[in-house]
Amino acid sequence: MRLPFQHTNIVEDSPYSIEVKELTKQFGDFTAVDHISFNVKKGEIFGFLGANGAGKTTAIRMLCTLLMPTSGSARIAGYDLAKESKMIKRNIGYMSQKFSLYDDLTVYENMQLFGTIYGIPKKELKDRIFSSLKMLELENKYKTLVYSIPLGWKQKLAFATAMLHRPKIVFLDEPTSGVDPIVRREFWNLIYETAAQGVTIFVTTHYMDEAEYCGRISIMSHGQLKLIGTPTELKEQMEADSIEKVFVKFVVR
Amino acid sequence: MKEFLQIIKKEFIHIFRDRLTLFLVLAIPILLVLLFGFTISTDIHHADISVLDLAEDSQSKALIDKITASGYFEVISYPMSESEIDEDFKNKNIKLAIIIPSHFEEQLTNEKFVTLQIINDVSDLNVASILNNYIKAILHDFTLSYNKINEADVPIDLSIHMMYNPEANCVYMFVPGIITMIMIIITALMASISLSREMETGTMRMLLIAPVKKVHVVIGKVIPYMILSFISTIIIIIISLVVFHMPMNGSIGLLLLLCVVFMLTAASFGMTISALVNTQLDAMMITMMGLFLPTAFLSGFLFPIDNMPYIFQLMANIFPGKWFIIALKDVMIKGSGIGDIWSYLLILFGMAMVLIVVSLRRLDRRR
Repeated sequence: MRLPFQHTNIVEDSPYSIEVKELTKQFGDFTAVDHISFNVKKGEIFGFLGANGAGKTTAIRMLCTLLMPTSGSARIAGYDLAKESKMIKRNIGYMSQKFSLYDDLTVYENMQLFGTIYGIPKKELKDRIFSSLKMLELENKYKTLVYSIPLGWKQKLAFATAMLHRPKIVFLDEPTSGVDPIVRREFWNLIYETAAQGVTIFVTTHYMDEAEYCGRISIMSHGQLKLIGTPTELKEQMEADSIEKVFVKFVVR
Repeated sequence: MKEFLQIIKKEFIHIFRDRLTLFLVLAIPILLVLLFGFTISTDIHHADISVLDLAEDSQSKALIDKITASGYFEVISYPMSESEIDEDFKNKNIKLAIIIPSHFEEQLTNEKFVTLQIINDVSDLNVASILNNYIKAILHDFTLSYNKINEADVPIDLSIHMMYNPEANCVYMFVPGIITMIMIIITALMASISLSREMETGTMRMLLIAPVKKVHVVIGKVIPYMILSFISTIIIIIISLVVFHMPMNGSIGLLLLLCVVFMLTAASFGMTISALVNTQLDAMMITMMGLFLPTAFLSGFLFPIDNMPYIFQLMANIFPGKWFIIALKDVMIKGSGIGDIWSYLLILFGMAMVLIVVSLRRLDRRR
C-alpha cells in the first residue's frame, strides 16, 4: 500500500534535520567511514568537503539509504536510518555529481517520471512541473529532449526535479561540477532560495569558493570527520585566510 | 502500482526513442526467417539431370516418367553415350545422371537384380546426398508398383514413412531455433544491457533513492522487452505458418503459454547477468558468450544434441533453449498437449524463478 503524498512533518522537538552518531561503514578490512558524528540544523546549508577517496560518497550513500551502515546511527528528517528508510526516502531529494536525468527523455517526461515515483498525484504534479519550469525560465523547453539542453540548465533542471516532491532535505553531490561560473552563481542563488524556505541543503563540492557560501562546513579525511564549523571559525582555527588554505592544510597534515 | 507502471512507460519511451534498435529488433526476426526459409532449404526442386536410356522400352519410359513426375527432377538431356554424360556435367551443369541398362524390361521380368547406374555431382555434398535419397525413394517406389502390377515376388517390403515432417522440410527445424535466439537477444541481451546501463550512468541510484521497490524497478524495466520479444515471436510464427506452411498441430494457447514462460526464463537470465556485472559492455559480452552462443550450439538448433559428446549433452541441459525447442516442436509439429510438455514448462519456469530470486537478492545488497 502506498500512502498518499503528504507533507510529512519532521519530529518538531528536534532542531536538527540530520543527526549522525558514530556512523561507520566498513568494506572488508577497509573502513571507508570511521565513526563520524555531526548534526545539521533545519534550513542550514551544510558543506561536506573532503579529498577524493576521503569517504564522502560512502557517507552520503548511507545518509540517502542506499547503503547500510556497519555501525552507528542516524536520524534523517526525524526518522531512524536503520528502521524507517522508506519514510526517509519520501523526505529527501538527491541530485548527483553525474548528471542524473535521462538524456533520451524530454524535460517533461523526466520530471513526470520522478514526480510519479515519488507519489505526487497526476494533476498536482503537472502544476508543480510547470511552475518550477517557469521559475527556471524553461517552460517552452518542456518538450525538448534533455540531451540537447546545455549542461548548466540540465543541472538546474535536475535540482528542480529533485525538489518536485518538496523534500525536507536535499543532498547535492557536486552539483556544479563542470558548469561555468555564471551558472554556478545562478545555481547557488537557487540553493539560497530553497534554504530560505526551510529546506536543509547538504552539499559536497570541490570548489572552495562555494564552500565559503555554506552556513557550516565539515572536512572529511581518511574516513574521519574532524573539522566542522562555520567558514569563519575554520579559518581562525586553522590560521588560514581562505577555505582553500584550510582544506589544503588539513588534508595534507 | 503507479510507480511501477511509470517505470514500464519510461522504458518504452527509451525503446521507441531509439528508432534504429527498435527497427532492428522488429526487422531482424523477419529477415532471419525469410533468409533461413528461402536460402538454407534442404528441399531441392527441379534438379537438372540427364538420362542415358539404353533400353528404350516401355518400362524405362515408365521409370523416366515417374522420375519427372516427382517434381524433384527435370530431365534436360538424353545423351547417347557415357562420354556425352561427361559433357552434360561440364556444360549443362546437371546434378545427376542415370544410366538405364539395355533390356531393362526383360531384366525386370526375368532376373532378380537390375543394375541402374547413377552418377552424382558431389562437388556439393549436401545436394548430392539429398538427390540420392530422392532417386532411391523413387526407384524403390517404382519396383514396388512394378511388382504389384505384375504379381511378382517381393522379397523385402521396405516402407519408409516420415513421421511429423513428411517432406523433410527444414523450416520445421529452424523456426523454433530462430524464436529461441530472438527471445534471447531481446529479453536477455537487451534487458541486461538496459539494466546495466542505468547502473553505469548512475540513474539507477536516482531510482533506488526514490521510494520505489527495487523489484518494481527491475521488473518494470524488463517487462517492455518481454512484450517486444513476444511481438517478434508472433511475427515469426505467423510468417512460418503463412509463408512456409509450417504445421500448427497443437493448441495456439499452449504455444503462447510456452513462449511466455520461455520469455520469463530469458528475462531472468538477463536480470542475473546484469546483477553480476557493472558495465553495459560486460553485460553484452557475458550474454553473448555465456548465453547466446551456447544456446545456438547446444540447444539442438544447429547441431543435433544426440550426436554431441556426452559432456556437451550434459551442458545442454543448463541452457533453457534446449527445453524450449523440444517443447515448441512437440506442440507445433506433433500436436502435443500440456500433458506431454508440462515437464519442460516446469523446468523453464523453475529456472526463471531461481534466477529471479538470485538476481533480486544480489541487487538488494544496498549498494
